[in-house]
Amino acid sequence: MEKMETKRAKKFNTVSFLVLCIAVPVIVIGGAWIFKDRQYAWITLCVAVLACVPFFLLFEKKEADGRVLVTVAVMCALSVAGRVLFAPVPGFKPVTAMVIITAMYFGSEAGFVTGAFSALVSNFYFGQGPWTPFQMFVWGLIGFVSGLCGSWLKKNRVFLTVFGIISGVVFSLVMDIWTVLWADGIFNVTRYAAAVISSVQFIIIYAVSNVVFLFFPGKQIGRMLERIKTKYMG
Amino acid sequence: MKAFSGYHPLTLLIYFLSVLMTAMFLWNPVIQLEALLGAGLFAAMLQNGKETAGDILFYIPLFIMAALANPLFSHNGVTILFFMNGNPVTAEAFIYGIALAVTLIAVLLWCKCYSIIMSSDKFIYLFGRAIPKLSLVLSMALRFVPLFKRRFHKVRKAQRAMGMYSSKSYTDRLKGTLLTFSAVTSWSLENAMETSASMKARGYGLAGRSNFSIFRFAPHDFLLLAFNVLLMLGTLMGAAFGELEFYYYPQISGSSLSVPGLLAYVCFGVLTLLPFIIELKEKILWKYFISKI
Repeated sequence: MEKMETKRAKKFNTVSFLVLCIAVPVIVIGGAWIFKDRQYAWITLCVAVLACVPFFLLFEKKEADGRVLVTVAVMCALSVAGRVLFAPVPGFKPVTAMVIITAMYFGSEAGFVTGAFSALVSNFYFGQGPWTPFQMFVWGLIGFVSGLCGSWLKKNRVFLTVFGIISGVVFSLVMDIWTVLWADGIFNVTRYAAAVISSVQFIIIYAVSNVVFLFFPGKQIGRMLERIKTKYMG
Repeated sequence: MKAFSGYHPLTLLIYFLSVLMTAMFLWNPVIQLEALLGAGLFAAMLQNGKETAGDILFYIPLFIMAALANPLFSHNGVTILFFMNGNPVTAEAFIYGIALAVTLIAVLLWCKCYSIIMSSDKFIYLFGRAIPKLSLVLSMALRFVPLFKRRFHKVRKAQRAMGMYSSKSYTDRLKGTLLTFSAVTSWSLENAMETSASMKARGYGLAGRSNFSIFRFAPHDFLLLAFNVLLMLGTLMGAAFGELEFYYYPQISGSSLSVPGLLAYVCFGVLTLLPFIIELKEKILWKYFISKI
């Protein structure tokens, strides 16, 4: 029975590999050819979607422990539910900080999945749209990078502050790039500048709230994660 | 139960992807209007009158804002209407703004219909086999969100009852919320360990996992899928031959109407109206059967 399963899984893997090798280039290049004046926006969207795939597969291959899976799900759900909790405190969103904290303690793969799924799940509530793949990729990447520098982030408070600010700013800046590419077909600098300037106050609040969050509940949450790791996953 | 959501998740996913991609990336006024019309009719079918009215009140200001903002950023175009702060405001930029607004609202409406039709269990059904661990994480996260919201309220109420953080100042509100957040976090993490122990005891990770919802790929799914693929081919052929090209700048100009172009318009028009027709048919059938009894 088990052998059959693995055989089927192998077959499935080969098929999906072939599909990826043939279908992906056809879709990307064909799309760029058909959607002539929107080809940059199209390719950027394809890149955002495709770039998530290797990270997801890494997680899928690596994590065998059910406890890590549940913890990642809890952290995603907390950051999404937190958006509702913090609604009376304007501009304060815990998502980026929660992604960074999870990645610091559970590694980069778990960080990527926490980031990407926080975006996906929160959009089940706040509305899916063309922005979903970009949010998934950017938040996922923030998680992945903070997982890579996890030990520095834990040790160095200055580094953590800078990282919190940068990830908040980067998130806002990247999201506007695609909006401009899609609206104009090319990168219209005036529109991008207008978009960034009109959201400057949000970017600042966002960056500051990241840092506040990383230090105050962040430290406690870090201790909780550490405790769970030593108690249950040692 | 909506008629359209009775189709197989795979058929539905392919349908929504093809319509969304075309509406988002094929910038041709006829295609854009067709996408908006199809989405509007479909959304009106899925919602009750009150929700539809609310939508209209939300989208009209958005439409006006998106349409009027464009001439401020873009000074391309040859037909100058007037000058503002020394910058020309052109008719082309204005019309482009309207096209942008139409597409934006069409895409938002299609995404809304997608969210109503493609519930999360369908999404997980589709990807559960290929990525079992990730879809487990996703389905758990989706379930935890409402649970944690309830926990937040419980902790918040308990704090209020003790008279903590009840003033209206910003710092007090922030402190109270942060405290609630970390209380719920520790509660939920501890709980999660119990969940995973229970999962392990019940045999998580063994072969033969089944789905919450079971969908069968029925003949009508195949029919819709085949129809969808044919109509998409018709639409994309027109675009690939360059028959749908349309320029707003520097002067509004488009390729003259030809047979492949017309075919593409018809194909995409039918494609976007399909869900509306399916829902309408179901509604008529329902009415008809009631009046007979």
